[in-house]
Amino acid sequence: MSAASRRYRRLLAALAVALVASALLAVAVGAVWISPVDAARLIAWKLGLSARPPVPHSTEVILFQLRLPRVLLAGVVGAALAASGLVFQGLFRNPLADPAIVGVSSGAALGAVAVIVLGGAGALGGYGVPLAAFVGALLAAFLVFRLARIGPTVHVATLLLAGIAVAAIISAVISLLMSFSGEEVRSIYRWLLGGLQARGWTSLWQVVPLVLLGMAAAALTAHELNVVSLGEERAAQLGVEVDRLKRRAVAVGSLLAAAAVSVAGVIGFVGLMTPHVLRLIVGADHRRLLPAVLLAGPTLLILADLVARVALAPEELPVGAITALLGGPFFLFLLRRERKAAGARA
Amino acid sequence: MPGPESFVVLEGVTAGYGATPVVQDVSLSVAAGEVVGLVGPNGSGKTSLIRAASRALRPSAGRVMIGGRDPYALSAREAARMVAVVPQDLHPAFSFTALEMVLLGRSPYLSPWGGGGAADWARARDAMAATEVQHLADRPIDELSGGERRRVILSQALAQDAPALLLDEPTTHLDLRHVLDLLGVVRALAERQDKAVLAVLHDLNLASSACDRLVVLHRGRVVAEGEPQDVVTADLLGSVWGVEAEVRPSEATGRPAVLLGPPRGVPAPLGRGAHIIGGAGRGAPLMRRLAERGYDVSAGVLHGTDTDAFVAERLNLVRVTVPPFSSIDQESAAECRALIAAADLLLVCDAPFGPGNVANLDLALEAARGGTRTILLEQIPIDERDFTGGAAAERWRALRDLAAVVRTYEDVMAEVG
Repeated sequence: MSAASRRYRRLLAALAVALVASALLAVAVGAVWISPVDAARLIAWKLGLSARPPVPHSTEVILFQLRLPRVLLAGVVGAALAASGLVFQGLFRNPLADPAIVGVSSGAALGAVAVIVLGGAGALGGYGVPLAAFVGALLAAFLVFRLARIGPTVHVATLLLAGIAVAAIISAVISLLMSFSGEEVRSIYRWLLGGLQARGWTSLWQVVPLVLLGMAAAALTAHELNVVSLGEERAAQLGVEVDRLKRRAVAVGSLLAAAAVSVAGVIGFVGLMTPHVLRLIVGADHRRLLPAVLLAGPTLLILADLVARVALAPEELPVGAITALLGGPFFLFLLRRERKAAGARA
Repeated sequence: MPGPESFVVLEGVTAGYGATPVVQDVSLSVAAGEVVGLVGPNGSGKTSLIRAASRALRPSAGRVMIGGRDPYALSAREAARMVAVVPQDLHPAFSFTALEMVLLGRSPYLSPWGGGGAADWARARDAMAATEVQHLADRPIDELSGGERRRVILSQALAQDAPALLLDEPTTHLDLRHVLDLLGVVRALAERQDKAVLAVLHDLNLASSACDRLVVLHRGRVVAEGEPQDVVTADLLGSVWGVEAEVRPSEATGRPAVLLGPPRGVPAPLGRGAHIIGGAGRGAPLMRRLAERGYDVSAGVLHGTDTDAFVAERLNLVRVTVPPFSSIDQESAAECRALIAAADLLLVCDAPFGPGNVANLDLALEAARGGTRTILLEQIPIDERDFTGGAAAERWRALRDLAAVVRTYEDVMAEVG
């Protein structure tokens, strides 16, 4: 085994350990402290691996009804956002691209806001908002993709412009809807900020199949994303049907992002930061990046959500604000680094 | 015509972007084991032709055949197993290592996940050995020198294992040493692995020494084709590239070598005028050369859609033009007479003469009899281009007695002094 692949395996192991550790930490910390040992033993019992440990019933309730679904949801959403970011960065051949670029986030927001304003938030057994958000996200992505298409070809530059234009129009519509709404403004606002609170197991079961599907499709797209990062014409010369790849990558990235946004609202920067940092360590190969991203994205969002919960307890902060607080400076740091590197080359 | 062993065949290919074709009615073929050079000035359609042959620019007329199959009827994957393209340069968006770059060349054989077997690794290693870049395997591509990067790109195309290899100016911006090494690798591929190689080359000397045959493109059409010694001539350099050059066999290779004249500055005005009577494009090369020498060049009477009229317009010459297929009217003849009178020198080219332009010969005779210094270009005998039933030939012979008669454009320029 070469030194590079030994290093890669060590990195994956370290990321896996970090993920488990951050999940146990997030499960443990809160208004009621649950020791990670008790948590692990309770989970083992639930999985039928051991006898029920001697812990109070209230601990069991808090763990299984509040902490665990929330941590798992944070993990799934983090994985979806990070994988979506990887796919879009590969497709746009730009390390600063993220899911918001193709209008997915704003489309989801419009869907959710429309349902809340129309009073349908409680419809469909509580699924109204996430479902509307999911549909809105996919519709926006589809619209952007159609607008960006010239003949059979989708140009990356027109895709970016169409994304910006559609997002601007959608935000305007959202503002209009909000000005027509009364007391719902606060709940709309909370949704737009993004959050994982009190979603329970139903949200989790709702997104897991979509995210698994998206991950599998991302895995099958990873190699072609490698080829297309040489440029579209070169990719075609190397046997890639470029137009088909672009359609598939937009569909996969949008599906993952829409699934995440539908249950957690708009959470920025996870999709941007995770692939970018890992690329510095792992290299450019999307096939090697994907597993790393799927381990690191959940860790990042689980920790961010933990901070959101406990920083000003009992008040909860919107997790989107935490990732933005982390991500904004990070983004600026990257920009500075790029400029320095460019300066050094010049 | 393509022989049975021709692997890459283009038949009457017309292709371009939008309504204007960039290449028109181009036919060429490359046999297995042969290196064919595609040469021509900037904008002559070389890159477009490579794109048409590599399934990137569908011809609007004619057809492309690779190994007997139409690449446009194949999937991208199947086509990539038949034809490998070596682009001028590549700057990947992300920093792949050299080995990863070369492995991407195996794409047409890999599973959707991109998994490859030991055979794919072996092919990638072989391809890197062929261009001597094995030692760079773990280096990021964006840290390599230009020459190293080009060799990695060539190995990527070699890893594709395709029997046809199309190269688009693979040597641009390379050091002399790297240029020769790279072309050496390409020659070896044709000779030892029987690859059919079509290479766009900018440098005529390189093309002449590295290729078995050359195809010269000019304004989207093939204007010459054959072995280098038959194709690379001073005449061709003049008429296609518009440069004056000396061509003689290289002592090292026996192939024609081009020695360019001195760089041309802005021509100093001579304060002397020359009038050109052309037609059917025969006058165009002289218009440019005389203008470059500093003459005030005028031309006429020209017919609207003639190449000479087009070139005269491009060079912004003073000229008299009549509509296509019309005869020369009195007024045009009078204006042209004035232009000839103002010139110090009259050049009459060996254009075809018919009822539409025979009046030009009357103007020439009139001027020659009046003492204007006259040079007659006669590469083509008058009998082959007299469409007036003898009237033009009679005037031409009268002109011969009054003028200096020369055979080539070079001789005209020598005579002009």
